[in-house]
Amino acid sequence: MIDNHQMPTGTAARTLVSQRVPRVVLADDDVLLREGLASLLDHSGFDVVGQAGDGTGLLALVRSVEPEVAIIDIRMPPAHATEGLQAAQVIREEQPGTAIIVLSAHVEADQAMDLLAGGERLGYLLKSRVTDVEAFIETVRRINAGASVVDPSLVRELVRAHRRHDPLDALSPREREVLALMAEGASNAGIARRIFVTEGTVEKHVRGILTKLGLHESETDHRRVLAVLRFLESR
Amino acid sequence: VITILAFDWYFPPSLRHFNAATTLVLGLLLVIVSAVGAFAALARRRATGSEQARGILADEQAALRRVATLVARQPSAEEVFAAVTEEVGRLLRLDGAHLHMYERDGTATVVGAWALGTVPIPLGSTVDLEGDNVAAAVFRTGKPARINDYTTAQGATAERLRAMGVRAAVGTPILVDGRLWGAMAAGSLGTEPLPADTEVRIEAFTELVATAIANAEARAELEQVAAEQAALRRVAMLVARGTEAGTVFTAVAEEIRRFLGAEAAYVIRYEADATTTVMATCGDAGFQPIGSKWAADGVAAQVFHTHRPARIDGRRSSGAADGEIAGQAGGRSRVGAPIIIDDRLWGAAVALNFSSGSDLPAAAETRIAKFADLLTTAISNADTRTELAASRARVVTAADRTRRQLERDLHDGIQQRLVSLGLKARAIETMAPRPPDALRDELSFLVDGLSTVMEELREIAHGIHPAVLSEAGLGSALKMLARRSAVPVELELNLGPRPAEPIEVAAYYVASEALTNAAKHAQASVVEMRIDGGHGALTLSIRDDGRGGADPSRGSGILGLKDRVEALGGTISVRSPPGQGTILRVRLPADPNAGPALAPGPQ
Repeated sequence: MIDNHQMPTGTAARTLVSQRVPRVVLADDDVLLREGLASLLDHSGFDVVGQAGDGTGLLALVRSVEPEVAIIDIRMPPAHATEGLQAAQVIREEQPGTAIIVLSAHVEADQAMDLLAGGERLGYLLKSRVTDVEAFIETVRRINAGASVVDPSLVRELVRAHRRHDPLDALSPREREVLALMAEGASNAGIARRIFVTEGTVEKHVRGILTKLGLHESETDHRRVLAVLRFLESR
Repeated sequence: VITILAFDWYFPPSLRHFNAATTLVLGLLLVIVSAVGAFAALARRRATGSEQARGILADEQAALRRVATLVARQPSAEEVFAAVTEEVGRLLRLDGAHLHMYERDGTATVVGAWALGTVPIPLGSTVDLEGDNVAAAVFRTGKPARINDYTTAQGATAERLRAMGVRAAVGTPILVDGRLWGAMAAGSLGTEPLPADTEVRIEAFTELVATAIANAEARAELEQVAAEQAALRRVAMLVARGTEAGTVFTAVAEEIRRFLGAEAAYVIRYEADATTTVMATCGDAGFQPIGSKWAADGVAAQVFHTHRPARIDGRRSSGAADGEIAGQAGGRSRVGAPIIIDDRLWGAAVALNFSSGSDLPAAAETRIAKFADLLTTAISNADTRTELAASRARVVTAADRTRRQLERDLHDGIQQRLVSLGLKARAIETMAPRPPDALRDELSFLVDGLSTVMEELREIAHGIHPAVLSEAGLGSALKMLARRSAVPVELELNLGPRPAEPIEVAAYYVASEALTNAAKHAQASVVEMRIDGGHGALTLSIRDDGRGGADPSRGSGILGLKDRVEALGGTISVRSPPGQGTILRVRLPADPNAGPALAPGPQ
């Protein structure tokens, strides 16, 4: 799961994260949900500076307010297909500094990897994750701070896929657990908190996993996510 | 003998060279031998042990030898006629003999000619049956006839015979199955009338000839029927196989042309504006292109008005279009038959002779009509098939659309609402500055419950319609299927350009069903799935290493897929030998709307 331990909330968060309150824009065609999410973020140390109901509105908004974070529903008018994903790509090209979190009713590997190939500070999550408020807020924060995050349900699907000659068979159950968390985008510290071990132990596991799978050490957490996902998807 | 002849004379060149040549030659030998034998017997009875009898016997021997030599050379029909005519002349010790075949138009054609000391009427000559001559007399009465002195005979033929020096002649009818087929006429240059028994002596011969012709005609008819059946069967096979209608049209035009020995044949469709559209052509002529439009003229017009077969013989009649389609100015002989579908005139099949000068055979109307009937079936089948496929495709597509809509309603409607409610519950938490633990617990319980519901809802929605399919395409959807499969899947994807949505959906369900079967029934340990796109088709080959023995006719899974695949114009095959795994192969057109379509005519 997403790192959700030692969660600061409310005013405490503002002082913890940075001097500057991250400015967020929301794009979702469901007004009720959008307002709920805005209120949630506003209460959690973010500043929701604008809302849009479709991709075009979102792009105009992002261009004018240049937010730190954009949270985007994947399905929006006019076709309710992948408008959000397309808008995300445009934002990434025009304003690479904006962190992007794409929310979707369902998650899918190719989509996730296409999105993550766009660079750092990207998130791809099931929309229902927002109801786990603390975890969601923490995830938004982590993404804003540089992490890339993939929904655990997608990682679970990738890890559980049956393969005839499965390289994952070489991993211990604990190593599998660590691998899944790596794929979700957790840092070593995050993994350590999640599985109640020291960061040093996690580092040992990570090295073991990479060796067994023939993967190289990645320079950043983002690259690590991408590498692990690609490996899991194509193994 | 004359066998061949009769056949040869009546029917088209393509049928002249039938394989029974040997049989016919044997038949010919038999006829000649019998004829000579019968005649010899007759002669023996009449010439009482005299020198004359011995001479006749010698002639018989000579005739036999000549015929035997001839037969050994495998003669043409013309040679046989010539030989028979000559034998009659020689054996009766006359100066000339002609074998006449009566034509429908009241003339006779000379098909055998022999003369001694004079020049006979050339073969193929048309003999006028007016005036005084034995061929005409036999034609009028159906009985033997004689003219003892041609010097006073009237008419062009009599004039011609006089010029040859003919003085006396005898003619005997050749009756084939009670029908007057022709006449053998034999004459002398001498002033004496021919002996009184000449008619009887020729008759003994012509009866055998008639029998031979009757046999030949019966055989020819059989050959004809057989050839017709074969031709019809070839077309019927095409129809049964569901061959594209355009190909059937062309095949019919070709069979009609070959069968009738016509110079050209074509199929037209009547249009609402009283024109015709060329659907297929065949022949040596410079045809107008398929799809070009022409005025309904000539036989096409007659068939159009009467809804019945029609014939126009002779150049004088109007109807340029009949020939124009074949790139010819008019036609000498044209026969057309209607193609009627559901009591509605759809089009016509037409055979045409324009330069050979001969009329199409008498039975052409009924023969073309038989082929036209096959076209009726072909077109109805094609129409029905097209309609059926379209309606099946509509049903499948409508069902898919409903499922997709359902999936959207679940995701964008219900799930969205649930997320909102979850957020609302969390918001309640923040309303109280220090919420009591009991309230927090209840709210957590509520939100956890909502999360579970949302997860279940997501799975249900995925089962109804995999959103990944419409959003990310078949490749992503199949990869997801493979990941979720209980049996390991080795997936090989060679997708070309993205196919139409119904095709993607069908391919997805085929793969999904195959993987379910592999896991549930086949006890397979691995599934190899290969998908190839491009070249206007999408093919799936799915092979498992399970126990095989799957019966596609049992269990609705594969049957349902078959319906879906075939509705889109695709094919599906299952091979599942016991103990050797199951192979499912599916081929789908990239564009389901590219199937053959036939616009029906107006009538």
